[in-house]
Amino acid sequence: MSIYTHHRKFVLAAAAGAALILAGCTSADTEDTTSEAPATSAAPESSDTATDSMEMADFSSVHVALVPGGAHPYFQPWIAAGDDAKADFGLGDMVYNETAEWDQTKQNDVLNSLAASGTNAFGIFGVSPTDINTTFKTLKDAGYAVGSLASCPAGDVNEADFCLSTDTEEAAYKAAKAAIDAIGGEGTIAHMTGNNVDSNTQRRIVGVEKAVAETNGAVTLLPAITDVDVDLTTAQKAAADLLAASGSDLDAIVTTAYNPAVASASAIADSGLDIKLVAIDDDPTILAGIADGSVYGTIAQNPVGQAYVGSWVLAELSTGNCTMVTPGVIVDSGSFIVIKDNVETYDDERQAKSTVIMEEFKSNLLSC
Amino acid sequence: MTTVMARVKKTAANPRVFLLFLIVLLVVLFGSLKPAFLNGPFVLAPLMSSIAIFTVVGLAQMVALSVGHMNLAVGQMASLGAMVMGLCYDVFRMPLILGLLVGLVAGAAVGALTGWIIVKTGVNSFIVTLAMSFALIGLVPAMYSWLSEGAAFTSKPAGLDLIGRQTFASICMGNTCGTDAVPLIILPAILIMGLVWYLYSRTRLGREILVTGSNVKAAELSGVPTGRRLMFVHTLSGTLAAAAGFMVAASVGSFTPAIGSEFMLPSFVGPILGGTLLAGGFVSVIGTFLGITLTLVIRKGLDLFGVGLETMNVLLGVILLVALSTERFRLASGGRRRGGERPSGEPAQTDDPDQPDEALKDPPESVQTEDKELAR
Repeated sequence: MSIYTHHRKFVLAAAAGAALILAGCTSADTEDTTSEAPATSAAPESSDTATDSMEMADFSSVHVALVPGGAHPYFQPWIAAGDDAKADFGLGDMVYNETAEWDQTKQNDVLNSLAASGTNAFGIFGVSPTDINTTFKTLKDAGYAVGSLASCPAGDVNEADFCLSTDTEEAAYKAAKAAIDAIGGEGTIAHMTGNNVDSNTQRRIVGVEKAVAETNGAVTLLPAITDVDVDLTTAQKAAADLLAASGSDLDAIVTTAYNPAVASASAIADSGLDIKLVAIDDDPTILAGIADGSVYGTIAQNPVGQAYVGSWVLAELSTGNCTMVTPGVIVDSGSFIVIKDNVETYDDERQAKSTVIMEEFKSNLLSC
Repeated sequence: MTTVMARVKKTAANPRVFLLFLIVLLVVLFGSLKPAFLNGPFVLAPLMSSIAIFTVVGLAQMVALSVGHMNLAVGQMASLGAMVMGLCYDVFRMPLILGLLVGLVAGAAVGALTGWIIVKTGVNSFIVTLAMSFALIGLVPAMYSWLSEGAAFTSKPAGLDLIGRQTFASICMGNTCGTDAVPLIILPAILIMGLVWYLYSRTRLGREILVTGSNVKAAELSGVPTGRRLMFVHTLSGTLAAAAGFMVAASVGSFTPAIGSEFMLPSFVGPILGGTLLAGGFVSVIGTFLGITLTLVIRKGLDLFGVGLETMNVLLGVILLVALSTERFRLASGGRRRGGERPSGEPAQTDDPDQPDEALKDPPESVQTEDKELAR
């Protein structure tokens, strides 16, 4: 027998030993497989209103994790909003983790690691809308509070406790309507958006098509330009290509993803073409463009409200103070048209919307 | 005593033993510093699921490396195979096994096509598989958009969730169930590892592949039908990639175009860390498993310590660099010529050490008959 055979036997024996160490058995009678999981079924405190419950609640045991699908400027406001929620509601801990790298498997790994480390409430932007329900169900079955933030699962079922997200179709519809108004109700529009295989992108495309269809042919919509939200460089190339190919025929561009919005604003300004741009989100570049007139408008979303209100709802659910009246309910976090007239004041409208959402949870969506 | 010491030194110098040592050390270290690392359902079971999936991904690359080729389309072949499986389940309502087999055949077919192009054109596998990768990156999402709603197949045949998301805790005998720290998805991975190990260690076909990878001209002169062997490894690579695609779909819950998009880097890291040579002629199934395990244990540990994205990627990049440097060192110390060809006297090997000699002692019967075109 050669030395190599010894090696192989050693490796196999060691692997078998590790498996035995890891294995062990559980009893079928033992249903609690996650001793660290919180008890969400605890009886709610007796109180007349949900507001009373919120004021009296001790959230020091609640460890919230806000987990986007990956690094993206849209989610940066979640960090400050999460910290504000931690301070305002007295949460035990707040973690922001963006290491999922837009891969559902990696995001699942991140979530599992957080769960094992003591996180007991999750605000998640699922990478894959068609897969994220499986992840939600796993966490829910283990007793954790789960909120789907900024994106809802594809299909009619939401396995999370709630979904607090922009109605992407409605936001795209508003953006297209604004663009159509900007060009006087007739002309040619291009639509630049994100990942084509994302169901939210499909909803955005539907929203824009719906607005254009209402013009009865007065407005022509070019084929949607998708997959240009990977990064700013990709978006800049796509915007430059669009203007080079069709710039002289275009009257407006609608962008329903962050990077193409920023890239289009710069490209239009550089080209000097008279193209009305309706962007998405409130990047400083976009807001400056609106202020100086080079960008017609944008559709601001509400990431702060998603993280802040979402964290509070998760805390109420995690402690067992409240339960959802309708588990899986979908709540629109709002979308706001920003044009030159309201570029200085739109955030007031957004904050007001967050307050309305919070009241809606207190009054109708939570049972406390 | 001298013999024993020599054996100990050789054992310590074995890269697989070193990898195993590192893995055990890291598990003990992470487990001590972060007891959550030993959490069954939320750390160990997902970790082992990832290890199972990426070991199969690593094997898909390893079989291409065994002949000195590479498969840059391994992720897209996984995506294609998974798409065909999803189509079978969603549209044709096929049972689990039948849909799996059809998807594996699809993976094999695209692998075979890749191998055929490489053999017939003589174009480097890097170029051909890169081109195939681009073609599939365009084709697969387009097919999903055309054939499915929401760009995904979400139908789940009976058994898909069981194999993809359940642990041995769901296997009970009376009142006693298995552990919730070990997922059932390790079973297909073990089966595949066993089959690949058997191929390379116990069959004439496997030995001919390794001889082809070791020195294609010598193999041709020995009568090995090298063209067919090259086509076979690419067919096998496509099949294994499709199997990995199935495992990903089973673990996340649906069949989407994103399956396989993260496969390429780990597919190289695992085999190379495990000792498989980039230039061909040597493979290690156990080494691939250990290489994948090491990288995923490190990633999981960094996850638990809350290491940020940038640091994590830097550390994983360093691992790859170390792996490639080790490979280069081994080439240099092995006296191999520049260009990656093995000297004719150096045997092809697997991690079954008894086999190399047999491979040389047992020349193929088809010395004078097969594949004359390539022999020329």
